[in-house]
Amino acid sequence: MIDMQHVNMVYPNSVGALKDINFSVERGEFVFIVGSSGAGKSTLIRLIGREFLPTSGSIRVFGKEITRLRRREIPLFRRSIGVVFQDFRLLEKRTVYDNVAFAMQVVGASPREIRRRVPEALEMVGLAGKAKRKPDELSGGEQQRVCLARAIINQPSLIIADEPTGNLDPQTSLGIVDLLKTINIRGTTVIMATHAKDIVDRMKQRVVVLENGKIVSDEQKGGYSHHAH
Amino acid sequence: MLIRNIAYFFKEAMRSIVRNGWMSFASVAVVTVTLLILGSFMLLNINVEQITQEIKDQVEIVVYLDEELAGSEVEQLRVAVIQLPQVEEVRYVSKEQALARLQSQLGELVAGYEEEGRNPLRDSFEIRTKIPEDIPAVAQTLQTLPGIARVDYGTDVVEKLFRFTGAVRWVGLAFMGGLAFTALFLIANTIKLTVNARAKEIMIMKWVGATEWFIRWPFVIEGVLLGGIGALLPALALFYLYHEVVAWTKVNLFFLPLVPPQMVLVSITKLLLLIGITIGGLGSLLSMRRFLKV
Repeated sequence: MIDMQHVNMVYPNSVGALKDINFSVERGEFVFIVGSSGAGKSTLIRLIGREFLPTSGSIRVFGKEITRLRRREIPLFRRSIGVVFQDFRLLEKRTVYDNVAFAMQVVGASPREIRRRVPEALEMVGLAGKAKRKPDELSGGEQQRVCLARAIINQPSLIIADEPTGNLDPQTSLGIVDLLKTINIRGTTVIMATHAKDIVDRMKQRVVVLENGKIVSDEQKGGYSHHAH
Repeated sequence: MLIRNIAYFFKEAMRSIVRNGWMSFASVAVVTVTLLILGSFMLLNINVEQITQEIKDQVEIVVYLDEELAGSEVEQLRVAVIQLPQVEEVRYVSKEQALARLQSQLGELVAGYEEEGRNPLRDSFEIRTKIPEDIPAVAQTLQTLPGIARVDYGTDVVEKLFRFTGAVRWVGLAFMGGLAFTALFLIANTIKLTVNARAKEIMIMKWVGATEWFIRWPFVIEGVLLGGIGALLPALALFYLYHEVVAWTKVNLFFLPLVPPQMVLVSITKLLLLIGITIGGLGSLLSMRRFLKV
């Protein structure tokens, strides 16, 4: 599903840079990308979302070389992935319902389909009763659930999450990761960058450890602890 | 493009105009003022053109003939002149006609010349060219023909007039171009502020897979609406004002041949609308470029 070959990302101050990354993810996997801040986790996630191009190397997603996507192909590519950010990125002036519906409007879904699927997605993330609230009336965890609903609404086969629990307390974080796991069990591949040690240890999923822009370990059912410094 | 998308674009555009009420008002005001000045200047230019054209059309060459020319020689000369390609019309004015004309203009000042042999004037041709700008060249050619005593066309006045109208036209064009550019710049900046306010929204749209045109349309429509309103207001103002000016001029400065309102106002309204809409749409596009790079 994802295949990175000899990916390099050079930054002037080397923070977040990547050096010769070779890494692949199969359909249906749940992968944690861990490492200290500045190790390149975020860069890796954003490269998969084609937010920018690597300095060199090949990145194939769904069998397609995304470093060679044309400008007008990028939106179509993004429709097949769901994105979750650390800072939620919700529209404050719109209701929870509208925030989720927005992602469907943008890709030209019919109003009927929107009316059918948005409540389903809100139900799925446990916010069925809060459709009419505005984001600032919700807790951080609830806001991140809205983002999750938005990320899955167009039924992507891949979700990338960049520190989705970075702004949340441990208990709330666990709820979010459980939800991601539920989405994963239903067939969506999930890649999540994090430095929440407890969660990673507990989930027993594949763990890729980045250190100074290099992959230093990649284990199935791995943990964080024995790599932490 | 899907119809429900078009509905969405218009709804978003209207929502943004209302939400950024003051900014929208400022954009419209900027376009209104600019196009009002532009429109006034266009009307002024059209009228200056019309008046100078009127004056130019009245300019003619007067050729005074040698006194001893016989009737057949005069006719030959007339034929030679009319055959010049630039010449439109040749009128023969005998010295008796010239005297009569002079007397009707000046009255008693020239009384007493009626008697035979006391007419100091000469027979002449009054020549009009097809286009006024040919006058100096034709005059020069005429001077070389035999039997012509003097060629007169008010050299200085005509050349100054031509230079003046040429300058007015160029200054006007430059001025109008400058104003249109200023309006474009101002509306681009104003829309940039509304785009700025929605930078986050645009980023989210990009992340959920909106195409660039899907993101652009609401802003372009917003710009076009603002530019259109900003053009309609000065068009209405000019409609009213120009009618008033023409009516006033007819009474007080009846000799000034202003262009009648019905001949110019429709085309100026169309032109202003076109400029307003173009400026609005283009301004939006320009101010958006930066935000689409995600």
